[in-house]
Amino acid sequence: MEQSGTSTRLQAAVQDLASGVVSALRGGDHAHVVPPVGTDGEAGDLALAAVRVLGADALLPGLLSRTPPDPAELAVFRKAVEAYPPRADAAPTVRWSHWAMARTLRRADPSSAEPPDEPDTAWLDGATWQFFTHQLAVLAPLALPGEDCAVSRLAAGRPVDVARGFVRAVRRRDWRQAAGAGRWLTLLPGVPDTVGLEAGLDFVELMGGQDPLVTLQVQAARRMRTGARV
Amino acid sequence: MRTDEKVTQDVTGIQAADIEAVLDPVEADGVYRDSRQCAALALNSGSTSLLLSPPTPRPKKG
Repeated sequence: MEQSGTSTRLQAAVQDLASGVVSALRGGDHAHVVPPVGTDGEAGDLALAAVRVLGADALLPGLLSRTPPDPAELAVFRKAVEAYPPRADAAPTVRWSHWAMARTLRRADPSSAEPPDEPDTAWLDGATWQFFTHQLAVLAPLALPGEDCAVSRLAAGRPVDVARGFVRAVRRRDWRQAAGAGRWLTLLPGVPDTVGLEAGLDFVELMGGQDPLVTLQVQAARRMRTGARV
Repeated sequence: MRTDEKVTQDVTGIQAADIEAVLDPVEADGVYRDSRQCAALALNSGSTSLLLSPPTPRPKKG
């Protein structure tokens, strides 16, 4: 199906933003991952929407390195949270993504409002391991060390299923899903050693690393494996 | 379209539906690796035991 021009531009803006996050996670400059709030016109609109799509991971470098957020960056992040609340009929992943941003905003700026109540997880009741892994990968920004929520508790109860999903994603060459699942696996207890997570993540980066959204998840997983906490 | 959605669209120029579509993707069709890539993965893994190798071929029945 042909993508609309808006969709294409949005996805390009998300990739640009993800590249900045990757650079920061690798130890580069992290002061200007998110574009300043004063950016006007279509570029500003796209940048704001890109922050909403990348979600809580837009502030991930600062969270993992425990550095105070740049005020300008925080302002854009807050604006994205406020400008794009989930619609009434939004999918569960959209609701959880927004909730994760609200949680991150609160952590980055304790004067922010409390995050709303967690969305429900009914859509994951009885989910097959394939669907479960795919949904977890979409919600990879929820995979943070020491951060608890209903989705992470469900994931903690199904480590073997997520490991199977990771392997399946690799074999399907679905690098984004594999990278997101790999990030979850770095945090879950009871993951079988035989999954070869370390080498698997290397392979995912080797094969899918031209996509910044893949590299972002792999870098996040590596940072968390080395003990980074939020 | 609800009023608040209209305001959001006017402010950002991007429809909420565009964003929500990206945040709720369907699973991509699978494209399976060829044997050379499996071999590369095996080399990458060193001494690690991986589940990423292709399944052992089963004898054909009949």
